[in-house]
Amino acid sequence: MARMKFYCDAERCIECNACVTACKNEHEIPWGVNRRRVVTIKDGEQGERSLSVACMHCSDAPCATVCPVDCFYTTGDGIVLHDKDICIGCGYCFYACPFGAPQFPEEAAFASRGKMDKCTFCAGGPEEDHSSDEYKKYGRNRLSEGKLPLCAEMCATKALLSGDADVVSDIYRKRVINRGSSAFNWGGNAKITG
Amino acid sequence: MNIQTLLLLVGLLLPQLSLADGPPKQNNFPDGVSSQSLGADLWREVRQRDLQSSGVSQVKGVDSGILINAHGDQWARFRTSKLTTYGSIALAAMFGLVFLFYVIRGKIGIEGGFSGNMVQRFTDYQRIAHWTLAIVFLFLAITGLILLLGRPLLIPLFGKGVFSILASASKEGHNLFGPLFLVSLLMMLFSYVSRNIYEKGDLTWLLRLGGSIGDGHVSTGYFNMGEKIWYWIVILIGLVVALSGLILVSPNFGQGRVIMELSHITHTIGALALIVFSVAHIYLGWIGSEGAMEGMKTGYVDASWADAHHDRWGKECRDQGLVISAEEYARLQGKNPAVEVATEQGK
Repeated sequence: MARMKFYCDAERCIECNACVTACKNEHEIPWGVNRRRVVTIKDGEQGERSLSVACMHCSDAPCATVCPVDCFYTTGDGIVLHDKDICIGCGYCFYACPFGAPQFPEEAAFASRGKMDKCTFCAGGPEEDHSSDEYKKYGRNRLSEGKLPLCAEMCATKALLSGDADVVSDIYRKRVINRGSSAFNWGGNAKITG
Repeated sequence: MNIQTLLLLVGLLLPQLSLADGPPKQNNFPDGVSSQSLGADLWREVRQRDLQSSGVSQVKGVDSGILINAHGDQWARFRTSKLTTYGSIALAAMFGLVFLFYVIRGKIGIEGGFSGNMVQRFTDYQRIAHWTLAIVFLFLAITGLILLLGRPLLIPLFGKGVFSILASASKEGHNLFGPLFLVSLLMMLFSYVSRNIYEKGDLTWLLRLGGSIGDGHVSTGYFNMGEKIWYWIVILIGLVVALSGLILVSPNFGQGRVIMELSHITHTIGALALIVFSVAHIYLGWIGSEGAMEGMKTGYVDASWADAHHDRWGKECRDQGLVISAEEYARLQGKNPAVEVATEQGK
C-alpha cells in the first residue's frame, strides 16, 4: 500500500502561488478558505526561501487526537480525511495542527465557524466517489481517477512533489545528490556555486 | 618522544585551545553569510525556534505566515490526556466526598424543629441574580462537559452521528448563552458583595471547619466563612472563565492560535474547578442542610434555621424586629409574593 506524502523543495519553490490557485479552482473553494498556502521565510533578505504548505497527512495526526466528535479517519493510503456531517466546527483541529491546515468558512454572526475544510490530497471524502455530494463538500476526487493532487501536478518548477512517500523521497534524494551536497548541507553549496 | 612529535602535538592542540577563547568561526564564507548550512537556518525559522520570526504569505489569515506552530501538539496532548483525565477524576472524587459527607453527617436538621416564624434572607433581586447564574451555569457546565468528555463517554453509547448533533447543539448553545454568564455574574457580584466581606470570627469558623472540629456551632453572621469562600471562588474564577470564554467565542479579532490555546486551557481548568465546587454547594443548599433551599426559593428562612446556622444574624433580626409570624408570612406569600416587605434586608 502506498503512503501518500507531499514534499516541497525549498530550493525550487519560486512563490508563484500556482498550487494555491490550482487547488482553489479544482475544488471550487469559497472565499476566505485556503487549503494550501505558500509561506516565504526571510522575505527580501539573504537566504529567502518559500515553502508551499497544506495538510501534511500526519501519521499520528494531532487534529484527529483532539477532535471532540472524532470526525477524522486515515485512508489505506495514509491520507487524513474528515467527515463534514460529523464535524461541528469547533476549531480545535486548527489549534492543534502544526501547519495551520484546517480552515473555517465564516458562516454566521461574530465569525462563528462553519464546518472545517482542509486539503484532502484530492481524495474526496467519505461519500461515494464522484458523487455530487462529495464534490460539493470535499471537492474533486482525483485520486480515484488515478491522478495525483493538482497542486503538485501543475507545479512549474516541480518544487512540490506528491505521491507515494518512497517515490517522493527517491526523487528528492537524487536531486540532493545532483546538487553535490549532503542533505544536511543543502543550500550552502548552492550559495558558493551561485 | 622527539621534539618534532611534541611540536606536532602542540600544533594540533592549539586550534582547539583558541576555540575555547572566543566564539568559534562557523564557516569559511565571507562576512554576511550567516552559517555554513542555509538549510539549518531555514528550518530553524520554519520551526520558529527564536519565537520572533514569521514568514509572509499571499494568503491573508490568522497565523498564515507561520509554517509550524509547535505549541498546537502540546495543547492537544494536554487536553486529551491531562484535562479529560484529571477533570473526570476531580469530578468523581467530589461526588464521592459529598456522598461520604451524606453518609457520615446525613441531613443537617434543626434542633427543636422549625418555629414557623420567618425572616427574610434574600431580596427578589438577589434571588433573580442567583437563579439566573445557577441556570446559565448548569447549562454551560453540561454543554461544556459534553464537548470535553463526550468523545470517550458518549460516542460509545450513541455513535458518532447522534453525538455529533448533540455536540453541535452544545457548541452553539454554549457560545450563544456563554456571555449571559458574565452578565449574571456581575449581578451576583453587586447584589451579594456587601455580605461577603471578611468579618471577625470567620477565621475561627475556617479553623474549626464550620464546627466539624470541636463541639457545636461556630458563631457566624449573615454568611459563614465557607459561604464567603464559595462566593469569591464563583466571582474570581467566574470572571477568569468568562473573559477567557469571550476570547474563545469571537475568533474574529485576529487572536492567534497560541492565545486561543492558552485561553482554552484557562477556561477549561477554571470551569472544571467551578463545576467541582458547585457539586458541594448544590448538595449543601439542596439536600445537606434542611431549610436552606427554602431561603433561595422564597426569600424567607425559618427563624430557627437562622439561629441554628447564622446565630449572630438571627439575633440581629430578632433585635430589630424583622421576624414575621407564620400568618403574616402566609399572607405575604399567598396574596402578593412580589410585594416589598417593609422589613426588607439592609434597611
